[in-house]
Amino acid sequence: MDRNLKRRLEARLEAQLRGPIRQRQDETEIRIQPGDVPDVLRTLHDAVDLRFEILADLAGVDTGEHMQVVYHLWSETSPDWLRVIADGLSRDDPRCPSATFLWTGAEWLEREAYDMFGIVFEGNRDLRRIFMPPDYTSFPLRKDFLLPDDAARSTGEGVRHVERSHAPAVVADDPAAGVRRAPAS
Amino acid sequence: MPPRTTRTTGRATRSAAPRPPHASEDDPRIMLDREISSDLYDPVPPYPTQTEREAEFYTRGDGEMFLNVGPHHPATHGVLRLVLKLSGEQVVDVDPVLGYLHRGVEKICENSDYYHVIDQVDPLEYVSSLFQEWAAVLAFEKLMDVEVPARAEWIRVLSGELLRISSHTLFMGFLALDLGGLTPILYSFIERDEIVEMLAALTGARMLFNYFRIGGVNGDLNHEFLSRLGDWMSRAAKQTEANAGLLNENEIFVRRARGVGVLSREMALRYGVTGGNLRASGVPFDVRRAHPYSVYPALDFNVPTRLEGDALARYLIRVDEVRESIKIIDQCLHNMPDGPVMAKLPRLLRPHPGRAWGAVEGPRGMLGVYAISDGSDQPFRFRIHDPSFVNLETVPALLPGNLLADTMAIVSSLDPVMGGIDK
Repeated sequence: MDRNLKRRLEARLEAQLRGPIRQRQDETEIRIQPGDVPDVLRTLHDAVDLRFEILADLAGVDTGEHMQVVYHLWSETSPDWLRVIADGLSRDDPRCPSATFLWTGAEWLEREAYDMFGIVFEGNRDLRRIFMPPDYTSFPLRKDFLLPDDAARSTGEGVRHVERSHAPAVVADDPAAGVRRAPAS
Repeated sequence: MPPRTTRTTGRATRSAAPRPPHASEDDPRIMLDREISSDLYDPVPPYPTQTEREAEFYTRGDGEMFLNVGPHHPATHGVLRLVLKLSGEQVVDVDPVLGYLHRGVEKICENSDYYHVIDQVDPLEYVSSLFQEWAAVLAFEKLMDVEVPARAEWIRVLSGELLRISSHTLFMGFLALDLGGLTPILYSFIERDEIVEMLAALTGARMLFNYFRIGGVNGDLNHEFLSRLGDWMSRAAKQTEANAGLLNENEIFVRRARGVGVLSREMALRYGVTGGNLRASGVPFDVRRAHPYSVYPALDFNVPTRLEGDALARYLIRVDEVRESIKIIDQCLHNMPDGPVMAKLPRLLRPHPGRAWGAVEGPRGMLGVYAISDGSDQPFRFRIHDPSFVNLETVPALLPGNLLADTMAIVSSLDPVMGGIDK
């Protein structure tokens, strides 16, 4: 745990932090509003005593109640991994500013989060599906995605015709599958 | 969104080849020539463009053409489709199409219990699957505060570094193969086969090892593994130099790899590239040193870096890393303590609700796992960060301006493995 990093983050990001900074083992975690993402990431990247230059990961999370976008950052100024959680995106219309203005490489990571969770990253110029076919309508990593093969419902329209299944199966919704929710923490 | 203005093909006029005499009209297995629409060979997707970038890419300029490379192409290292926009023989733009190997491993892991996750992540990077297991167990051990016995950590490092050598050796062979040299791959496979047989003696499997466990490893070192390892170590350094010499002193290889696909330092950082590709651009970021895990702080090894950032530098970094890995294996054999290789854990793991991020340095870069527990016996969220995914992302920036013949040299020098990229 890097106590010093906690002090620096509190000094730099006082206005944007939502909730306390949590530290456990070699990780430091902060929570912010989705709207503050560009400002916070810019500060973390540019401030001389922070310099988080390496974007280790960008991931979407569906807690069952709302969506999150989670950034993992690394800096040579701290021995800790920094986790930035943009919390409280609505599940019906999740929107978050893009991080591509700072890390071009976030483009595909955001495409993946869009593909899997439906999170719309405003400012990403290439936000289309990356793994699933372009006509696919579900978001597979959401907690209300039914496992009995949703993919069979896709007609494959838009897929090149050699790869298309000829008769799309009709799968009835499974009423037993409920939404799994994370405990509020 | 602007409508697409041009389409590429006029394949409707392709001449009808005579059907073989044995083909019956109503045999469903035979696709008659008139049924093959022009779409089959058309790189342009048969739907309206969805984004600004896609519209820009699929608008054909004067004298430009589209070319599909893949998904089944021997030099794409799996099933990757690159749509190239060409002007003559020069690449103007690239649109990589992914997803041909997508299996939804993250979703599968979220529906498996903690022990089963480890064999689910094995086939992701099938060339170096121990590292994927390592990232998963590291995250889980942090989640559960498990103390791993010292001997298990040393065995993890030992087997991991062996696999790193195997993976790097294979990379060198495939890079040469993509540049037209057939010989190095044969020597690479000799090396790889010895290492794989060695690990088979240790783990019981040749490729998908399923060896690491939460809290240790599956079994202690055995006699066959150690005797094979000793045999191999007696000539590993010499053999590495011989294999490297085959390429380092090959003028055709060096002249084709030097100066192509230059990834500058700033660009590498902006793209989030990690591993050898980042170190070849002059950034000494290696998770083993930048954020040490396991017993790496106790080991003596260097992090080689280069400044050129071209395909040749990326190749030479791998050669240097093989030398460092041999050093590490030597230290493991000398310093390994005695003791148990597994911590005592319950049969069913139910970690307290929490979050953990574990990252290890794989042969292609930083492999990360972000695991969330909700207190049940399955991970609530299991996020896998694969380095090849981000490394491949630089392709649209590296290829433009290069010749068609160099595209495969550049893609291959980034060392992507599609199993990990597509998840």
